[in-house]
Amino acid sequence: MEELKKKLKEQIIEALNLQDTKPEDIDDNAPLFGEGLGLDSIDSLELMVLLERQYHIKVEDPREGRKILQSVQSMAEFITSKQPA
Amino acid sequence: MKGKCYIQGTAAISPQPTFEGDIFQAPLVHTDSNLLACIEPDYKPFIPGNSLRRMTRTLKMGLTAALKCIQDSGISTPGPIITGTGKGSLQDTEKFIKEIVEYKETALNPTPFIQSTYNSVNGLIALQQKCTAYNNTFVHRGFSFENALLDSIMMIQEGASHTLTGAFEEITKEHFYIKSRIGCWKSAPVNSQEVYQHLSPGTIAGEGAAFFTLTGAATPESYAAISGFRMLYKPSEEKLATALRNFSEGADLIICGRNGDSNHEHYYDVLDACFPGVPQLPFKHLCGEYDTAGAFGLWLGAQILKAQQLPASWFPMQDQLTAPVHSILFYNHFFGEQHVMLQLERV
Repeated sequence: MEELKKKLKEQIIEALNLQDTKPEDIDDNAPLFGEGLGLDSIDSLELMVLLERQYHIKVEDPREGRKILQSVQSMAEFITSKQPA
Repeated sequence: MKGKCYIQGTAAISPQPTFEGDIFQAPLVHTDSNLLACIEPDYKPFIPGNSLRRMTRTLKMGLTAALKCIQDSGISTPGPIITGTGKGSLQDTEKFIKEIVEYKETALNPTPFIQSTYNSVNGLIALQQKCTAYNNTFVHRGFSFENALLDSIMMIQEGASHTLTGAFEEITKEHFYIKSRIGCWKSAPVNSQEVYQHLSPGTIAGEGAAFFTLTGAATPESYAAISGFRMLYKPSEEKLATALRNFSEGADLIICGRNGDSNHEHYYDVLDACFPGVPQLPFKHLCGEYDTAGAFGLWLGAQILKAQQLPASWFPMQDQLTAPVHSILFYNHFFGEQHVMLQLERV
């Protein structure tokens, strides 16, 4: 899980071009939207695309997306839950 | 043209150091790559970091030039925002198209698609300035900026106190290559400062963003008045000569879009014949050729009329002005198709 979260942070920084942010600046449980990284609705679409491209996971339900994209921790848990045992 | 309108503020990002500092002391930037790329300023004082990270070059250049122009004019919030662009954000368009292929029309990023639309810059200006007035972008190849200008002039004639009018264009490696395949650029590398001496098919590529705040009334800070305007599509030489002669009254200086392209040089021969003895300043060695290069020419004319001097390093072929310049004729065409004439007057 720790390895996945580290990789996820790097992918988020690259996908959203967060130029002045380093992986260690992102707290696992900090909210990605509003406070925390201060992302917005377009970023949420970009993160959905990231999940689809990098992990082949398509989020169909937007309400589900809101929960998944809460933090790096929630994203990593979701990815893990979708991976074959 | 019924009445005059006045250039109250202006800003340009171009391959020359036009955005900051004294352009009359600025050196001439040149290249032998047949592509004049813009000198990009530091965008951070103009665009919040969170917005900047998402923007590609044209958007940053267009928005920043617009914001500097608003600052320069002293107007707090712009009214109508009217722009022209031939291609819009090519970087975003190319990225979006490549991703369609790469990801087989699935999992596409929304940002390049949103920003590839031509009116993105206008939207960004309006959002940042909280401006809800008329907002329009013209996309008509070599007439894009000129249609924006025409719309602005009509707005002012109908009573708008001011408009923000501008143009933005970028060149990418891919677009440069595509246009080289159809013979737009010179086949051998040419030093941009010597482009007029290399009369052969094609010219050099360029890009830039230039904005103007236009008003219906002059002030002591006004750069210039626009008092005449004509657009002609694929005119015959006779028709062009007739149109040019209508602008013959008192032009002290001509700014022209000559670019060393032998395919279309004959139009500039018509200009020479119509205005013998009037000094000419070609400007394409400064900005290269692109759909909205006319906006750079207008910016240059406005600067010269206000300062009553030439940027000396940019025009080594021309002596410094010895008499006041009261009127400038601007003539440009885009690959022989879209021809534009403008009359500028000292305020």
